[in-house]
Amino acid sequence: MTSTAAVLAQQGDLLVKPEVEWVAITPLLVLVGGSLLLLTLSALTTRRPRRGTYALFTVLTCAGAIIASVALWDRVQDPARGEFTALVGALTIDGFTVFFSVLIALSIALAALVADDYLRREDLEGPELYALMLLSGAGGIVMAMANDLIVVFLGLEILSIALYVMAGMHLRRVESQESAIKYFVLGAFSSAFLLYGIALVYGATGSTNLSEIAAFLSQNVLESEGLLLAGFALLLVGLGFKVAAVPFHVWTPDVYQGAPSPVTAFMASASKAAAFAALLRVFFSAFSNHASDWRPIIWVLAVLTMVVGAVLAVVQRDVKRMLAYSSINHAGFSLVAVHANTERGVAGALFYLLAYAFMVLGSFAVVTLVGRRGDAAHDVDDYRGLARERPVLALAFTVFLLSQAGVPLTAGFFAKFYVIGAAAEAESYALAVIAMVTAVISAFLYLRIIVTMYFAGDEAEGDAATGRHRVAIPFGAGVSLAAAVAFTLLIGILPGLVADFARDAVPVLLSAAP
Amino acid sequence: MDDYLPLVVMFVLAVGFVLLSIASSKLLAPSRPTSAKDAPYESGIVPTRDNPERFPVTFYLVAMIFIVFDIEIIFLYPWAVIYRELGAFGLVEMLVFSVAVFVAFVYLISNGALDWGPLRRSRRLDGTLDGNRTSSSTIRRIPSRTQVEGEAAPPAAREEGASREAVAAGAAVGSTSEASTSTEVPV
Repeated sequence: MTSTAAVLAQQGDLLVKPEVEWVAITPLLVLVGGSLLLLTLSALTTRRPRRGTYALFTVLTCAGAIIASVALWDRVQDPARGEFTALVGALTIDGFTVFFSVLIALSIALAALVADDYLRREDLEGPELYALMLLSGAGGIVMAMANDLIVVFLGLEILSIALYVMAGMHLRRVESQESAIKYFVLGAFSSAFLLYGIALVYGATGSTNLSEIAAFLSQNVLESEGLLLAGFALLLVGLGFKVAAVPFHVWTPDVYQGAPSPVTAFMASASKAAAFAALLRVFFSAFSNHASDWRPIIWVLAVLTMVVGAVLAVVQRDVKRMLAYSSINHAGFSLVAVHANTERGVAGALFYLLAYAFMVLGSFAVVTLVGRRGDAAHDVDDYRGLARERPVLALAFTVFLLSQAGVPLTAGFFAKFYVIGAAAEAESYALAVIAMVTAVISAFLYLRIIVTMYFAGDEAEGDAATGRHRVAIPFGAGVSLAAAVAFTLLIGILPGLVADFARDAVPVLLSAAP
Repeated sequence: MDDYLPLVVMFVLAVGFVLLSIASSKLLAPSRPTSAKDAPYESGIVPTRDNPERFPVTFYLVAMIFIVFDIEIIFLYPWAVIYRELGAFGLVEMLVFSVAVFVAFVYLISNGALDWGPLRRSRRLDGTLDGNRTSSSTIRRIPSRTQVEGEAAPPAAREEGASREAVAAGAAVGSTSEASTSTEVPV
């Protein structure tokens, strides 16, 4: 009987050492490296750094990641070189990857700028939130570049575990702790569903690699499809939880409301986008020849998500909770684009996610500021007379809300336009009509906030009467808001810039390089 | 489908065994309940009084740090077994991994995870905690039934006692056992 070591030594010659293409994962390396560097530097310096140092560092790291992504973009769009797989087919580097790297890095940067003053205001200063945000974003990028179901799972966990901690970051607010526990328990459940789905798909197709699954499914007809369909269903549960699709949305209002506002902004933009990236990679790219099986499920999910999100948002009084429900509604719109299952649909979904990221980051930045110290003033009444008190802030919020409602000249209009166009092209007219109806329903709630800001409260009811402090607009949050407004309007006036970017970013399916 | 038959049989047997055990113990065993047997955690000796000493929370921190590094070792073992075959690739990967874990360690130390002495004024404690807070000034214990008579001292006297203990706690490294026993000796 040979010892284990001897057996392993014999197998040593058979070991396949993966070729690591460091260039392919530079955006990831920059984010993770930045996060580790931030932790190390903050641990080694004994004095408290100048205000805003951590946020500035985070923004610079994100800028580095964006530059690295743009370099990759040039490479994958070059017809001579094109898209490629890295790490023995585990990752796909294509326009899609680069698109989401840029989106996520931008979200981190804007959220970090808002978080800077927030942490100081709430006495929570430290590098932890920034480090976790960078790591979480790296997980999101892993999900977007995954070419293997296991890598999707890995990315999802990196994204989520950091988010659980971030949700509970506010040590002295019970709501924050509660949201962290809720998110953790439900998130762990949904991960288990996803993992079970992966196991079933592996059982049905014999591989976890997306390109191999697609190849298998195109060459073979399964005798009984039960295993595969159950796998689809469980994968949809796992990913539907992360994108907050109804009926897997129950955590969203509580967690969005309880989590620190900058973290909510990050969750609604980057985390949602990453989950959609995984959804598109898995279902659009790998399972596309079984579309007749999963499209009806997505249809139902999309309708439920849009309707429930819009209707429940209207009856909320808490603005943060309202925006949480409206984010569910927006997830429904993105699902409409996924349902189309065409390249145009995917481009529409990408456009929607990018536009929505700016709107929602801006909205939650305003919510952060109006929340004041304690992060508790989120009732609609707290927005009363904001236009008189802080006209510019109210104007910015108006832009974000109008954009979310889909008013022309804002990013939201073209986002909805492309999505509904894709749905109409795919001949799912009922879905398009339902989408437009829910857009009208949710417009009511955005208008309600705007009306409260501009028209509610008479002159006599000033700051002295309500006994509130004037809303402060710190520098970092101001920059973040200005950037978000600029992007929202720019995309709204010149949608071609992003539309072209999104069209070139449709995911491709590549088999592993020989 | 026939391949799964043994599995189904196994499942039926497992469920059957559980049901049989529960039913037979209900039918055959004598039932003499006592309050100790009905306690939520029926194990070990029945507790008669509170735990006389408090655990410093640092113990849990050390346990958590131990787990972090224990897991690192688990990953190091398989690498060590085949490190020759992995060669430079394995070395680089392991270095990256170790650096990441080591950064976590540096972070923990800088945050005072291994400081066992009395509270020091450090960067992390600004605003939220201060050195004058001790376990006796921040935690108010609810006396158990046997202690109620002894605890009926007027609040002023208690306040004085607390400040005296604060001094004692500052002097004693560890600061928990002395401070807590002096308040909780049952009369």
